[in-house]
Amino acid sequence: MNDRVERLDVPILMDEAWHYASGEAMERFSTGLAARRIEALRCDGCGRRYLPPRPMCGNCRLRMTHWVAVDDTGTLEAWTVVHQPILDGRTGEERPSPYGMGLIRLDGADTTVNHFVQTGGPRRQGVTPPGPPLFIGQRVRAVWREELRGAMDDILHFEVVEP
Amino acid sequence: MSTPDLAPLGVAGVGRSGPRISDPRSIPEIVLEAVESALADATCGYDDVDAVVTASVDLFDGLTASNIAVTEVVGAVMRPETRIAGDGLLAAIHAACQLWAGAYETVLVVAHSKPSMAPADLTPWAMDPIHLQPLGASFTACAGLQARVLTLDDPDAEGRWAERAARLSTLAGRPTSPAEVSASSVVASPLRERMRAPLADGAYAAVLSRGEASVLLRGAGHDLCAHSPGDRDLRHWDGLTRAAGRAYAVAGIDDPADAFGCVEPACLYPHEEDLFTAATGTGPDTPVSPTGGLFGGAVPVGAGLSRLVEATRALRAEPSLRRVLAHGTWGPAGQGQALTILEAA
Repeated sequence: MNDRVERLDVPILMDEAWHYASGEAMERFSTGLAARRIEALRCDGCGRRYLPPRPMCGNCRLRMTHWVAVDDTGTLEAWTVVHQPILDGRTGEERPSPYGMGLIRLDGADTTVNHFVQTGGPRRQGVTPPGPPLFIGQRVRAVWREELRGAMDDILHFEVVEP
Repeated sequence: MSTPDLAPLGVAGVGRSGPRISDPRSIPEIVLEAVESALADATCGYDDVDAVVTASVDLFDGLTASNIAVTEVVGAVMRPETRIAGDGLLAAIHAACQLWAGAYETVLVVAHSKPSMAPADLTPWAMDPIHLQPLGASFTACAGLQARVLTLDDPDAEGRWAERAARLSTLAGRPTSPAEVSASSVVASPLRERMRAPLADGAYAAVLSRGEASVLLRGAGHDLCAHSPGDRDLRHWDGLTRAAGRAYAVAGIDDPADAFGCVEPACLYPHEEDLFTAATGTGPDTPVSPTGGLFGGAVPVGAGLSRLVEATRALRAEPSLRRVLAHGTWGPAGQGQALTILEAA
């Protein structure tokens, strides 16, 4: 094969929108977010409280119907600062990087949720000053959007709770 | 669950195309080279194949269903074909199950992908659309989170991973020092650019049969964990432990620490090798990825089958290796796990 041969590229541009049904569990969860309320589903078999909620405990293979309240404070179980730009599924635009991503175990839940974590202070004049150092076990709390709309990003990110 | 008594299968032929960082050819052209190579290696032709199992992922190919692009070149016209939307080693295990079930005598397994044709990292679209996609969670972010968890009780981890990545890159033909790895840009902390196996275009193929061959497939297992990384204990690849248990039972392996001449894990990052070793129970003296593993070019979807191809070549070249483990994984932070056990006949 000759690499120097010019190859014909056929670009495919798609502008389509998928509409996912959230399901009953995520609908109740999302509705709760719009009221700054976080709820998990608890498995009657193992007692594990799942957040975000889903209809079935994968380990016990049991339907879950028992809702339990969860706080908007929790513990950072893992964190990373991602430097690779990615496309935002909501907008199709490139998301600015770097950004902090964490696994947070909210008080009252047994699984962790993926969410953004604050890695710097408030951005001023295009500069983000360093924030408090992150570590596993650190206490964090949700920073809520001013106008809630019933979605995971009603929580803008989690910030460190200063001791 | 009882352990089935399964006769060894033959790895009659293997082939590959690539890996190349950016292959200008079309997917059918890339796949055709791998298939023709595997058929020639098995000294057979399309007419000797009873069925085909392909592995491809629509998202990566920008095509639904992604196997329609390769139907002719894998010889699947007027023939039973199954498509696996997961790692190629899972396709090989599916083919092995068809053979063990007695449905066919010879099955061709093919896996491909061409990441160079995609505009960006597509893995955010492989995450849950309701609660993970809106947050931009990607496989890269999940790998960073998993690596971070592993550093908690292991302050030397990052230095060890830099050394491992340098060793693998060097073995794969790109001489690299640990200092160069540690100085490379951060991808998802604590992971750095040169800690990541380079993505590449390529295709892999294997002819499995119920006949004799110089390399035998003696055991296989696969397993799936919950999709959400938050549901899992990221310190372990529990799914691989379960998959290995199934494969070892079939192959009659009681002591994996002393069972393998070498192992071929499909690890995109060096921290994954720690998870692999702990999950499979392979010994500290067992050689790992002697030709550099995925650091020679990681073909998404094809990675696991590439390890089977590499293991087969190693056993043919050096039968004294006796037994080699080939591994595949897919999904965020090692959600899906597969392994096969190959032996010199």
